[in-house]
Amino acid sequence: MAQPFRMPVVDSVPKVADEVAVGEDLKFQRKWWMFERVIWSFFVLVLLCDLLGVFGRGWLAKAKRSTPDQALTLDYERVERSGSPSVMTLRFGPAAAHNGHIQVFVGNEVIRGLGARRISPEPATSALTDGGITYTFDSGSTPTIAEIALQPMFPGKHKIRIQVPGSEPIETSVLVLP
Amino acid sequence: MDTIIRAIVGYFVLLVVVRVLKRRAGSQLTPFEFVLIFLIGGIIILSTVDSDRSVTNCTCAVITVGLLHRVLSWGKARSPKLGAFLDGAPLVVIKNGEWQHEVVDRMMIRPEDVRASARAQGISSLEKVKYAVLERNGGISIIPKES
Repeated sequence: MAQPFRMPVVDSVPKVADEVAVGEDLKFQRKWWMFERVIWSFFVLVLLCDLLGVFGRGWLAKAKRSTPDQALTLDYERVERSGSPSVMTLRFGPAAAHNGHIQVFVGNEVIRGLGARRISPEPATSALTDGGITYTFDSGSTPTIAEIALQPMFPGKHKIRIQVPGSEPIETSVLVLP
Repeated sequence: MDTIIRAIVGYFVLLVVVRVLKRRAGSQLTPFEFVLIFLIGGIIILSTVDSDRSVTNCTCAVITVGLLHRVLSWGKARSPKLGAFLDGAPLVVIKNGEWQHEVVDRMMIRPEDVRASARAQGISSLEKVKYAVLERNGGISIIPKES
């Protein structure tokens, strides 16, 4: 390793016009200008992706899934951001109501992975079941909407499962970005 | 742990963004550039400490950034290439009284910038400038023509 203060005081950098020791390196600088162009193009691409919702909170991030009998329709964001609140909407069709009640099973990945904070309206009952929680709502009229407030804290891909008893489950995945 | 990772990511994101901005951010801060520096810094702080604003968390973040800075400074002292990558290299703007158009255009330098530096160094006119060098810190050094 060079010891700069133990060497004689001489100019070790290239001189301009053999006169001024500047240390200009135009070859490096031209490569850097090229790199700048690439990185700014990348930044513009990142912003465009963000505007479109590739990183969540936008058009491309919004998703909707329904069961074949329309008992449950799920509006959610397929890309979430860690620590940012969002809402998952559950729309229940007539096929979801049984004896004036609507039951819905929400898998643990929604509770833990996506950080479910609360569900509204307040369910009449909630019961711990295998792999999740089953909520029961009193159903006056359909369609009925329930909303789950989310605030994911764990980045990564989370496979979620939501099901109305007697209907096919909705299984999908949500990517949580850091 | 998360804070340390976020501080490292934030440091390098900020380093790349500030580095690819045209040089002038440090040495000749105009109000236009103050807005940029404060706003970018504020945004990075939000993601670094997140919702944990405890003294412990903020201290860890500050130590992480300090350590990164120290490591990169150590690297710069040993590798001129790393130094050029992180800080850039000086560029000649005026050579023997002639504008170096490639540098002027690419670095977005205005004659007013060089004129202001000349005045600051007691030189009344650009015609008296033999060399002007855009330094790594964004300042412009002037070497006058011999009278």
